[in-house]
Amino acid sequence: MNNDVVINTTKITKYYGTQLGIEDVNLVVKCGEVFGYLGPNGAGKTTTIRILLDFIRPTGGSAAVFGLDARQSSVAIHRRVGYLNGELELYNDLTGEELLKYLGNLRGGLDWKYVQELAARFQCELPRRVQGLSMGNKQKLGLLQAFMHKPELLILDEPTNGLDPLMQHEFYDLLTETKKEGRTIFLSSHILPEVEKVCDRVGIIRQGKLITVETIESLKSHSVRKLEIHFAAPVPKEKFINIPGVRDIIVRDNLLTCTVVGSLDALVKTAARFEVVNIISHEPSLEDIFMTYYNGGKNNAE
Amino acid sequence: MLNNIFLKTLRDQRRSLLMWGAYLIVLGVIMALFYPTISKMTAFNQYLSQLPEGMKEMFGTGIIDYTTPSGYFSTELFSLMVPLLLLVFGIGFGANTIAGEEEKGTLGFLLTNPVPRWRVVADKFSVLVVSIFVLGFLFWAGLAVTASAMSINISILKLAEATIGACALALVFAAVAFLAGCVKGSKGTSMGVASGLAVLTYLLNTLGGLVNWLKDYRFLSPFYHYMEPDTLNNGLSPVHLLVLLGLVIIFFAFSIPAFIRRDIAR
Repeated sequence: MNNDVVINTTKITKYYGTQLGIEDVNLVVKCGEVFGYLGPNGAGKTTTIRILLDFIRPTGGSAAVFGLDARQSSVAIHRRVGYLNGELELYNDLTGEELLKYLGNLRGGLDWKYVQELAARFQCELPRRVQGLSMGNKQKLGLLQAFMHKPELLILDEPTNGLDPLMQHEFYDLLTETKKEGRTIFLSSHILPEVEKVCDRVGIIRQGKLITVETIESLKSHSVRKLEIHFAAPVPKEKFINIPGVRDIIVRDNLLTCTVVGSLDALVKTAARFEVVNIISHEPSLEDIFMTYYNGGKNNAE
Repeated sequence: MLNNIFLKTLRDQRRSLLMWGAYLIVLGVIMALFYPTISKMTAFNQYLSQLPEGMKEMFGTGIIDYTTPSGYFSTELFSLMVPLLLLVFGIGFGANTIAGEEEKGTLGFLLTNPVPRWRVVADKFSVLVVSIFVLGFLFWAGLAVTASAMSINISILKLAEATIGACALALVFAAVAFLAGCVKGSKGTSMGVASGLAVLTYLLNTLGGLVNWLKDYRFLSPFYHYMEPDTLNNGLSPVHLLVLLGLVIIFFAFSIPAFIRRDIAR
């Protein structure tokens, strides 16, 4: 086992009865990287994470974290991992402070100063009971308990759930700092822009199967975008037809709509020959991305 | 109270323990307070002594005699009321502490920490045992203090022994609920299995006293091992007590691998 590999799964498969959770998932996450695990709800993200943490056992294959077997060494692994559950359930009758201190005790002690620092950053009101907290405030406590013991690996399942934009921003900053310290982050999300923003590499999972793993640059390079260009006057369609990566072109008077794969450069340069009033770019949805992988070559050939 | 899982679990129980404790103290006190009055109701006692055998068997010892303290306390308290109350508490707790927490989703959260699963099971089971004996102690204290104050002629040591027997019986079914929770993770199922088993084995023991062919199977019922020694008169029977405690240990021992082996629901 290579020392700089933090997570390594070999063909992990999980069936719930006859229902497929995930199938033959091979993941390698390296030390110090921010790995995004992207997929729609129910794709198998949480299943994968729960196998890594030994909450559930794979039907087939095996998983290793820090080179330790996820099943045999779960306690040793948990000691070095901070985990945020996607379906966060905290002890309702405790205050934030009691909750974090209890967890700290289970971990054999805490740097309480650091906890307070984090709490201040995320504007957590620690003396309040969990019961009365809003979803966002619970999520902040969830983040705190994941980060508070400065773990080597953070496994975060939908971490920005319920956070307002300001707190999301704070969270992204914290991720950046964590990465700078050489720690590893594995985060699952169904929001593409979020993953693009913070991750080095992305694994895309759909219906239990890992479709692809690639760097953000390469993901962007063949990301699909829907574009609307408004011109001052009607434009001739022929001028746009042979631009590489541009397809589904519809021209109606002053308006051109099309789909662009990868770089916008050629299209924008062509459009610049006419008077452009407005360009509207729609962020590609997850489904669009999946479609590129599924139909891959086919669409490009058209 | 938040140093470890044992103390945290005990803390979660504090309101429930306070309430149950208060009820049980009151029960012991009231039953002792009423003894002098009831023991003097001769007409009532004559009526009781003439009840058919089957009816008497339902009350446990086959003898109903309210004119002696031990007869009164064994029928009124130890044949059904006290074990039943402890049983209800124990089954509820046994089903809730693993399966209930799992259904709420906080068990998964707890297991995120560097704590082995066996430790979770052992700590929670220890709290179950401690809670039942604390409740038993509170009941006994209320009863013994009142009985002494009223100079009722009964050994408070025998009362303690009978209470220990009732605790052991309740623990058997609490351990069943606990084990079922470790196996399945469903609170409802755990409570159902344990209560159902309690009712069936209770019937086996009572009917076994009446129906000849059932007699040979009475030893299968924990209630038999609780009732048979007539602890209030004879003191605890080590053999019968060991059977009950043995069952508790066996159920606990199976709980650990059952919980370690399976997937945690949430």
